[in-house]
Amino acid sequence: MRALAVLRQRGSAPVETIFAFVFVMTLALGAIQIAFSLYARNIVMTSTHEAARAAVERGRTEAEVHAIVRRVLGQGAGGVFRATRVEVVRHVEGTRLVVSVAVAGTIRSLGPFPASLPVTARAGAAGEAAVP
Amino acid sequence: MTRERGQALLETILLGLLLMIPLVWLLSILADVHRSALATTAAVRNAGADAARETSVTAASRAIDDAVSRALADHGIATSGARVRWSAPPALRRGGAVEVEVSLPVSVLQAPFLGRIAGPAIWVNARHVTRIDLFRSRDG
Repeated sequence: MRALAVLRQRGSAPVETIFAFVFVMTLALGAIQIAFSLYARNIVMTSTHEAARAAVERGRTEAEVHAIVRRVLGQGAGGVFRATRVEVVRHVEGTRLVVSVAVAGTIRSLGPFPASLPVTARAGAAGEAAVP
Repeated sequence: MTRERGQALLETILLGLLLMIPLVWLLSILADVHRSALATTAAVRNAGADAARETSVTAASRAIDDAVSRALADHGIATSGARVRWSAPPALRRGGAVEVEVSLPVSVLQAPFLGRIAGPAIWVNARHVTRIDLFRSRDG
């Protein structure tokens, strides 16, 4: 009877190990993907801020401001982020020029799971308005 | 032995889940430290540049406060816990140095969806020195 029970369990340890290994690997890779996503979100935030900051320098035209914002975003976060919407608003408050940038898009999948996370970022910068 | 069938798998799953909780918690704190480091660096750089362009100490102080709060807000960080220190030469004379330092606490006791709890914190510091333009035009 005991011998029969042993025979029935033959090979169960490797199968359990395989299942456990797959489970542990999924958890580990999931954790890595979470870490990458958090990192990418931070990069998108800081790139949006830098884009607004670069665009606020005086003497820029509307088209130049848009081009700067897109270039800074592409250089800073292009590898991890795909922007679907970039809005740039430029207005003058008294003697100060204010540039607001709103970005929406998705963080590229940086792990084994094909999940693109949506992310939005908003930033503003104030500088000296152009003197006529 | 038959009773123990599948027990190893169950133990691995439970242990794995138990390990995941502190790991995700640690990841969220590290992400927060990274975000704070980026925010403070941007804040001091912008504050220094803005202050160095001002013509009076009062205006420079206002510009620094504005730049720091803007940079932190852009990174989704509340300005309430931030410490800002700065120094500048009298009357912001040309060629002088404006030094700005921002310190920000990152609470260690926090969890996703639960928020922060008062307790130990990791302080993130950033310091930036900006030279005032030697040929800067001034009123009067």
